[in-house]
Amino acid sequence: MSLPAQPPAAAAAGTAARGLRAARARQPRADGEPQHAHSRGQIMAVRVIAGMVILAIWQFGAMAFAPAYIPRPSRTITQIPGVLSDQQFLSGTASTLLAILEGLLIAVVIGTVIGLIMGRLRDVDRALRLYVNSFYAMPIVALVPLLTVWFGYTPNARLAIIVIEATLPIVFNVAEGARSISGSYEDVARTYRAPWWRVWTGVALPASLPYLLGGLDLAIGRALIGAVVAEFIAGLNGIGYYILFNVRSFHQDDAVVAVCVLIAFALVLRALINLAVRRGLPWYRAA
Amino acid sequence: MTQPRPSTPGSPAPGSPAPGSPAPGSPAPAARRRRLRAPTGRWRAVLAYAVGLAGGVVVWQVLGSHSSSEVFVSLSATLSRLGQLISDGSLQSALTASFSVYAVGVALAIVTGAAGGLLFARRALLRLALEPYLIALYAAPMVALIPFLLALMGFGFWPKVIVVWLFAYFPVQFNTQRGAQSIAPELIDVARSFRTRERDIWLHVAIPYTLPYLMTGVRQALARGLVGMIAAEFFLSATGLGSLLIIASERFDTAEMLAVTLVITLVGVALMAIGRLIEARFARWRVQQ
Repeated sequence: MSLPAQPPAAAAAGTAARGLRAARARQPRADGEPQHAHSRGQIMAVRVIAGMVILAIWQFGAMAFAPAYIPRPSRTITQIPGVLSDQQFLSGTASTLLAILEGLLIAVVIGTVIGLIMGRLRDVDRALRLYVNSFYAMPIVALVPLLTVWFGYTPNARLAIIVIEATLPIVFNVAEGARSISGSYEDVARTYRAPWWRVWTGVALPASLPYLLGGLDLAIGRALIGAVVAEFIAGLNGIGYYILFNVRSFHQDDAVVAVCVLIAFALVLRALINLAVRRGLPWYRAA
Repeated sequence: MTQPRPSTPGSPAPGSPAPGSPAPGSPAPAARRRRLRAPTGRWRAVLAYAVGLAGGVVVWQVLGSHSSSEVFVSLSATLSRLGQLISDGSLQSALTASFSVYAVGVALAIVTGAAGGLLFARRALLRLALEPYLIALYAAPMVALIPFLLALMGFGFWPKVIVVWLFAYFPVQFNTQRGAQSIAPELIDVARSFRTRERDIWLHVAIPYTLPYLMTGVRQALARGLVGMIAAEFFLSATGLGSLLIIASERFDTAEMLAVTLVITLVGVALMAIGRLIEARFARWRVQQ
């Protein structure tokens, strides 16, 4: 990283470190410093009020200045039950979310394998780095038109873009993790004459896991963007296309509900990953 | 509630040593260890880079010349199509259209993001009240908002600028805010004990302290803005590089798609290198803790 002040582990596995830091920071806030601390109830109240103010501004702004088809909270709320029981919405949402989960799974496998190889074998790293870096620097959504030519206007094109989007940050982070393994671990492994595959699976892989989850955190956002762009271009059944279709047919309130579902999905997935880092990777503290 | 990622692991410019790889004479323990195990010369590194580059070129060329032209074309065919695009001027006009949107959007994002970050760092109530909503928005795939923008604002230059802004704003704001919130209290104390005026505290302490963080945000904004630019050109009024791609895909002109993608990749790599350079330049100002 270009920030020498930060230890590389913290820079690369930002999520993991952030989760731990947040967990540690929460301790004193919960029980100390009465002059600065607000109670949970107060904080919630402020947030709820702020949310109401935002909705009110949106509501009255839309009523005063915008044409009737522009969504407004009062109508959107009444649409929620209708949208959530709409067969088209349900099948579209299920199709998109399953594609994203499937794509993330494929990306984790491919990304971990490539990342480990790049992190452990320096010659391979040098040979491949040009391509990984270039693809990581470019907007992957630019590949969607090409992928629709290769895969047709099918869900496979969407899956392909999800996998590409999600693989890159995982490769990057896992390689970083495999590179930064403490030398003493390798020394111990070599002292006990561990075969190379034991070193890879027993030392390199667990050491890279927090980095993998940091990469997965980035991958979720990218995968969602890729999926929505693919659905827009290819007109695939999915939550992105549901949004597009309903905006175009002047049912924008329905589309707002779908956007909220999409945001909720992103937040839940990322929260799960944070939880996994905090609960499942106790050795990360030592790294 | 999680803070947004402070810094994404970006890609180092090709050719420059990656983080963790041993630069010659680097004192990093990892580097020393690796050199002991596998003594490698500079020639070996160069060879590996060359093999990687040559391998890619050969694979592209061979794959391209053995598949039908709608599916994949060779590197030489791609480059000759690129030459045509340059000589008839369509690439230049696309680049101009794309990067006027991009430049205005990213510039707006940097200005508003820096201002928003400072404001949020100074006003705890604002932070308390609005942060969860901003984080939710940050997690939202912004492309899903493009249809609404189209309905509200129609086709034109400014809706596309807004898309780029939406993509690029949040990293600038969050990083600036993080920097401004972390100003070491002893710096302010020293300034105050010398009876420094508020204006000078801002000018000589707060802003210089925050700038390295802002620049991390700028680097991320440069990358995300590019995604916004392409998405905006796909779905709003089709101009620039995005429209070249869409039109080429409708004609099954794979050579043109590959040529434009190559240009986009080069631009992306160049922008990342610029962002990294800016960030590294200001990183010297970072206060060591």
